[in-house]
Amino acid sequence: MSRKHDVNKEIENEVYCGTLPVLPKERKYGFIDALLVLSGYCIATWSYTQGSYLATLVGFKQLLIGAFLAAIFMLMIYQLPVIMSARYGIDIWIWLRSVFGPAGNKIVTIIIIAVNFPWYAVCCELFADSMENLLGLFGIQLFNGAHLVLSLSCVIIGTIIALRGVGTITWTTRILVPLLLLVGVAVVIVGFTSVPMDVIWNYQPELAGDADKTVNYVLSIEANFAFVITLVGGMAEVPRLCKSERSGYYAGVLGQGAAGSFFVVVGAVMAIAMQHVTGQMVDDPTLMMATLSAPILGLSSLLLVAFANIGTQAVGSYIYGVMLKSTFKKSSYKVLVLVLGIYVALLCVWGKITEYFGSFLTIGACVYAPLAALLFVDFFLVRKQKIDLKSAYELPGHTAYRYTGGFNIVGIICLALGFGFTLVIYDPIKGIIHNNWLFMLTPTFASFLFTGILYYLLCKIPFIRDYVICKGPDKRPFDRAKTPPRQNLFFMPFIWLICKFITAPYKLKIDKHNMDGIKPPFLVYGSHNSFMDFYVTPLALKPYRANYISELEGFEAFGEWIYRQVGCLGTRKFINDQMLIKNIMKVIKRGDVMVIYPEARYANVGTNSHLTPSIAKLAKLLKVPVVTINMQGNYLQQPIWNLKERKGARLHADLKCVVTQDEIGKLSVDEILSRISKELTYDEYKYQLENKIKIDDEWRAEGLHYPLYRCRKCGKDFAMTTKGSKITCKYCGDSYEMDEYGQLHSESGEMIHIPDWYEWQRAFVHEECREGKYKLDIPVKVWALPNSVNFVDCGEGRLVHDNSGFSLTFDNYRTEKHETLKFPSSSMISLHTEYDYRGLYGPCVTLSTYDDTFFIYPTDESKDVFNPTKIQFATEFLGGLYT
Amino acid sequence: METNKELESRIAEVLQAEKENKIPRMTKLDYIIAAVITVITLLGIIGGFFL
Repeated sequence: MSRKHDVNKEIENEVYCGTLPVLPKERKYGFIDALLVLSGYCIATWSYTQGSYLATLVGFKQLLIGAFLAAIFMLMIYQLPVIMSARYGIDIWIWLRSVFGPAGNKIVTIIIIAVNFPWYAVCCELFADSMENLLGLFGIQLFNGAHLVLSLSCVIIGTIIALRGVGTITWTTRILVPLLLLVGVAVVIVGFTSVPMDVIWNYQPELAGDADKTVNYVLSIEANFAFVITLVGGMAEVPRLCKSERSGYYAGVLGQGAAGSFFVVVGAVMAIAMQHVTGQMVDDPTLMMATLSAPILGLSSLLLVAFANIGTQAVGSYIYGVMLKSTFKKSSYKVLVLVLGIYVALLCVWGKITEYFGSFLTIGACVYAPLAALLFVDFFLVRKQKIDLKSAYELPGHTAYRYTGGFNIVGIICLALGFGFTLVIYDPIKGIIHNNWLFMLTPTFASFLFTGILYYLLCKIPFIRDYVICKGPDKRPFDRAKTPPRQNLFFMPFIWLICKFITAPYKLKIDKHNMDGIKPPFLVYGSHNSFMDFYVTPLALKPYRANYISELEGFEAFGEWIYRQVGCLGTRKFINDQMLIKNIMKVIKRGDVMVIYPEARYANVGTNSHLTPSIAKLAKLLKVPVVTINMQGNYLQQPIWNLKERKGARLHADLKCVVTQDEIGKLSVDEILSRISKELTYDEYKYQLENKIKIDDEWRAEGLHYPLYRCRKCGKDFAMTTKGSKITCKYCGDSYEMDEYGQLHSESGEMIHIPDWYEWQRAFVHEECREGKYKLDIPVKVWALPNSVNFVDCGEGRLVHDNSGFSLTFDNYRTEKHETLKFPSSSMISLHTEYDYRGLYGPCVTLSTYDDTFFIYPTDESKDVFNPTKIQFATEFLGGLYT
Repeated sequence: METNKELESRIAEVLQAEKENKIPRMTKLDYIIAAVITVITLLGIIGGFFL
């Protein structure tokens, strides 16, 4: 096994284990353990840089207040949400998916690293300074550019250590923390003994002429806020290992606020002492020890500081490399570490990171302050300490945090505005204050408050709150027993107006037969060709209002309230819905018109489906007149296989009473069925040809390959493709032109009636079924529709269809199990099909239980063998609709 | 799939542990202490303006 393989495997394991929730029995840290670990992280050499920076701004007493009180104040607030990390055993990077969405979280991760990683350039600068200063003490002159070479060598060695993986980093950390402590102790002893105590205690910086003491104090507080807030990135993985929420929280507060701040103060003492002795303020502990004690102590400290800086650089590359790897799973860990190394190297080449230390601190805080505010408000005030872990981990079917294409727009907007708000107060690059009052709050805290309040208020707005909280898809089943309201009387004029407006371009003509004296209640059976049916029927039934049966997906598309107001009864297709029968009876009993489209699906090629005796039995049960409405042209205007509207179509409807009140009790079921079937027989292409309805759209045949999938010449299934007005076999090239009257013409002059081709295919499927050769076994994508509110993503599954029926194997969100649902062939006389669902989602079939409709789509792998028409043919044959 | 199973089982265990309070929660007293410390530090910061 190669070394390379070892490292990759280790990192994969680290990333995998590093993102899983830590179980209570696996927790390692009590308060003291967590405090030591976090303290170790905080006491890097950059603490000295922070200390000497503060000493340029304020006196020692104010410096102490800033370093301890300001740090603890900010930590007390922004560390509070880490109790969630302790509670669920996850780090904030997982949790941030709920605040920004999984895709948004990736961007935020990159931003965080971009603003955080300059810390490591500071380490490299310190390393180079130490080397230069000490070599200078020994009288060794360096060449021009030596500083850059030294700082880059720190980057390179640190990166190499990080590339060696977990084991090397573990040893580095074990050596690093004691070394830093050792250096710290040495600095404290030398610093406090080399100058009188009152020099340090009464220290005041020499301010430039235009410098304001109050502004400097605010800047020092800001620097402390920023210092602690920007370190959270590297510390985020510790609280999940704590045994209690309290230990995780207080260890975070005191690790940074006490231990980290102590070393900041040590850095300040060192800088003050150096200024007192040499007149020059430095942030290099090596130089200080060499100057204030003895060169030999400086030489010893050089080795410690050199290793400490390289070690810090290595640990940083490792931590952020793993963080990036857990976010960008497909990327190589080594590549990510190299990218980080290049980023730090570029900052070193720029060479001004120490000069702009305060600026980069504030810029980092510009991002972290709104981020911390979002975490705080989101966890405590918006989500009330509840997180949907399954959605945070994006388990199949758990999509609460998917938001808009993986982005929580509200969270991202608040982050951006919070960032902008800081810049409105203060320009960290030029050091210009734009707003004195808000500046008194410090840019970081003002941004924290602004973002937190903004996010909180936005989440008070109901639709934004629903969007952000998104408890996950609503999985409650549709209430099929709910009594449907009558069509809203106030809606009726609008409904008729809209119907008139939409049908007007197609010159709708309605003929009524035997309708004299027919008044509600009565039952209407209609042909079903396209959505246009719902505009034609109300006009034909005017002035009466009616109730309609609709598949639930219509409720989902337009909203339940609207559908209820226009009188719809929701159901699922091809199930035995007793609740629906009860509701139909209620509609008739209250004296209304009940409209049913008994084919339950749009005509595939403009011809009717077989009707079953159940519709005649229902009519006899209801004991009311039966009316049929046969609509022509609706299919031609918008066939299901291509939902573009054909302007040339012309609409016609025949409304006819086929069974009167007197006859309903006397006629047999077969007689009633016969009368209904006769009136609901139609052939749209025949209607088009006979009435010379010219449809000359150039794309008129596009999509026709969905119902006409089998080549008439070579006999291959799923062979046809369409473009413009042509349908062509992709295997043998056999081609047909669709003329302006809906007929197909071969190149040899043969004329084909589309329904004939369609029925010709059906015969082959029947034959396959009879011979037991029919079988579909394919991977599919499954979406469940439990109600009128939303779909539920059930991920990928497997669909098997053979003579016994359908078997759908998938992650059933309702039982939370990977299981197989069976739909026996005898239970379904047909199934619902779509050729391009809603013009967006492509072909699918649906299978229904009482509480769910499963929309089943092909995957990329199965799309070439998935044809809804063939599945429908087999279902209808096996279900007994055709014999 | 193996990863998902491991993840699902861990999530179930963590949620169960949450119900059973296996990881001790922050108590009201803890929150009160945190609030008091926050206020004291804030007063200290404000006091720094007068030094």
